[in-house]
Amino acid sequence: MLELLKNLAAWLTSSAQWSGPEGIATRVLEHLEYSVLATLAAAVIALPVGLLIGHTGRGAFLAVNLASFGRALPTVGLVTLVFLAGGLSVWPVYVSLVALAVPVIITNTYAGMAAVDPEVKDAAKGVGLRGRQILWQVEIPLALPLIMTGVRLATVQVVATATIAAYVSFGGLGRYVFDGLAQRDLVQVLGGAVLVAVLAVAADLALGGLTRLLFRGRPAAAR
Amino acid sequence: MTIEWGWFPDHTGELVRLTADHLATAVPAVLFGLLIALPLAVLAHRVRPLRGFVLGASNILYTIPSLAFFVLLLPVTGLTRTTAITGLTAYTLVVLVRNTVEGLDAVPARVREASRAMGTSPLRTLLTVELPLALPVIMAGVRVATVMSISLVSVASYIGYGGLGQLFTDGFQRNFPTPVIAGVALTLLLALVADAVLVSVQWLCTPWLRGASGPRRPKLRKRA
Amino acid sequence: MNRRTVLTTLLAGASAPLLAACSSGITSLKGDGAGGDSGSSSGGLVIGTANFTENQVLGYLYAGVLHAAGVKTTVRPNLGSREIVVPALRSGDIDLLPEYQGSLLLYLDKKATATEAGAMQNALATVLPDGLEVLPYASAEDRDSFAVTRRTADRYGLKTLDDLRKVNGKLVFGAAAEMKKRVVGLVGLKDAYGVEFKEFKALDSSGPLVKGALKKGDIDIGNVFTTDVDTAENGWVLLADPKHLIPAQHIVPLIAARKADGRVRKALARLGNALTTSDLTELNRLVDKEKQDPDRVAAAWLKKHKLG
Repeated sequence: MLELLKNLAAWLTSSAQWSGPEGIATRVLEHLEYSVLATLAAAVIALPVGLLIGHTGRGAFLAVNLASFGRALPTVGLVTLVFLAGGLSVWPVYVSLVALAVPVIITNTYAGMAAVDPEVKDAAKGVGLRGRQILWQVEIPLALPLIMTGVRLATVQVVATATIAAYVSFGGLGRYVFDGLAQRDLVQVLGGAVLVAVLAVAADLALGGLTRLLFRGRPAAAR
Repeated sequence: MTIEWGWFPDHTGELVRLTADHLATAVPAVLFGLLIALPLAVLAHRVRPLRGFVLGASNILYTIPSLAFFVLLLPVTGLTRTTAITGLTAYTLVVLVRNTVEGLDAVPARVREASRAMGTSPLRTLLTVELPLALPVIMAGVRVATVMSISLVSVASYIGYGGLGQLFTDGFQRNFPTPVIAGVALTLLLALVADAVLVSVQWLCTPWLRGASGPRRPKLRKRA
Repeated sequence: MNRRTVLTTLLAGASAPLLAACSSGITSLKGDGAGGDSGSSSGGLVIGTANFTENQVLGYLYAGVLHAAGVKTTVRPNLGSREIVVPALRSGDIDLLPEYQGSLLLYLDKKATATEAGAMQNALATVLPDGLEVLPYASAEDRDSFAVTRRTADRYGLKTLDDLRKVNGKLVFGAAAEMKKRVVGLVGLKDAYGVEFKEFKALDSSGPLVKGALKKGDIDIGNVFTTDVDTAENGWVLLADPKHLIPAQHIVPLIAARKADGRVRKALARLGNALTTSDLTELNRLVDKEKQDPDRVAAAWLKKHKLG
């Protein structure tokens, strides 16, 4: 165990390990590329859907249960399926990561919208706001904390799961995990795992900071 | 991509075996997860300074890629089902610990104090008052953990213990979508059924919560 | 009072099945075919296989022929690379493994020089760790080989591995990740032939990734097995190996010595004598191309040859 940690320290600090096309720096950038693009794509799909369901109240059952469905969907199977359908390309990676993130964001966005006090909405109506104005000026600001929670959860899951790219021949930090498994090189696996965890935690903290920034000066909503 | 429907009736035996295999990995993972999470959560609930540490640690466990977990366990537990179960157990912790802590937090202090005032020991109060009252939130966590475990078992297919996930590696190697589709569909079905079973168990266990509307989600309840 | 009784009963009721399920979980863990050193005499033989088609077919052929000899077996397919399965055999998680002479020898001893089947069998016997044994090798053989497309071969004038030196630093090589560290792989190609590639891409063992990438042009040269029908189908050129980097690769059963009783030895020897390289190629084709199950093609072949 101690030996393993010592080797890990050596692995993580060797400059040769960090540079070059197979170096840690490249792998981290690749990993970020998959994660950021997938999360953004998922947000673009999921946010409007979640807001719509929350605003209209239609499809609430779907929104509530979607997260459960998303959790149940086996990523390995999805990657394999898209790979078999479309051949060797980066598509399987993105499809499965987006599929992982979309349900989380929809469910949380809906939950945020559903938690907005109906009386507040009534009051907004009472002062003469219309549907769209209520959505933008009342519902979304109030729902934002839960919406951001969804985005953060999705991001952490995507970063941890983007290792799957290596399964279908691509890069990212998963390379260390899959290659380390094939070579039974535990130091490499551990190094990859630590880097993924660090990246996930960093992404979570960054989004947390962003959320706080969004709520600066609006303490009531940011509760 | 075509599905060969004839493959299904021809492989029912294998599908049943793999499903059983799948459950034999996923279910113990959740049970062991509970066994570990309950005391941890009680500790985190009681000893405030430990709270951040316990929750943080289980959060970090969650960010480690599951495959890495399995591989790192190989020198300890070998190429066995134990490796798959241990890895999955670690994954259930984040949900189970957090939900249990939240559930315990939600028990009104007055209730606890009343129980203590009646001369009930702290342990007895915990077992007979607090945990039962926290049960709905804990069960919500158990449901999430169960569905997650069922889905994640397939990752263990990289070390040969993936249950239905074995169909993924098999289809992958042979460029054969049919078993992969079967595996995905059965995994989803299994998760759905397991979730439904847990909802029923919860309903049976919490008679005091039964309203006209049946079991409710504690967090997403909409105000009328 | 009443309420408290209800709660107590409830909790007891909820925890009883939980505890029961947990303890049964523990027994099932121990009984899980892993076959520890003690008490597994009645549990039968656990056959592990690596993560490619042929190895699974071989695993089921072993299982079938042993079954016919009255030996109880369990097959654990798709466990991973040699680097994963051989240690599992050493630790007793599995008992029997279909192996390949040359690759196994080089895995155990990177400096091994034997390349001929008989010499390798002897070398294996000396380098194998205590408790493991190789049984007589089969006539069937499946070598690692390095394939390029006809176009690449023509373009660079490639016929042998030696020719690769002319294009040092230009080609992308694709193979399973373990090949990066293996003698029959990057290490040997560099040491024996002085070959260096522009890039190594970690893919799989003569599977869909390597073959797909070779077809698509993502890689220029890939590691495929000689028993893979895709080579002929795609007109790939297997580069010759004038320096004998790639040793003989007869199929050989690697077994935990304590499990190798007379019945097991005899049954596996009969299989080894009957199975030819072209049989193996055909069995691979049935699984990969006709999408038949490895266990079924194995059973059918054994039946046809009156072995199962």
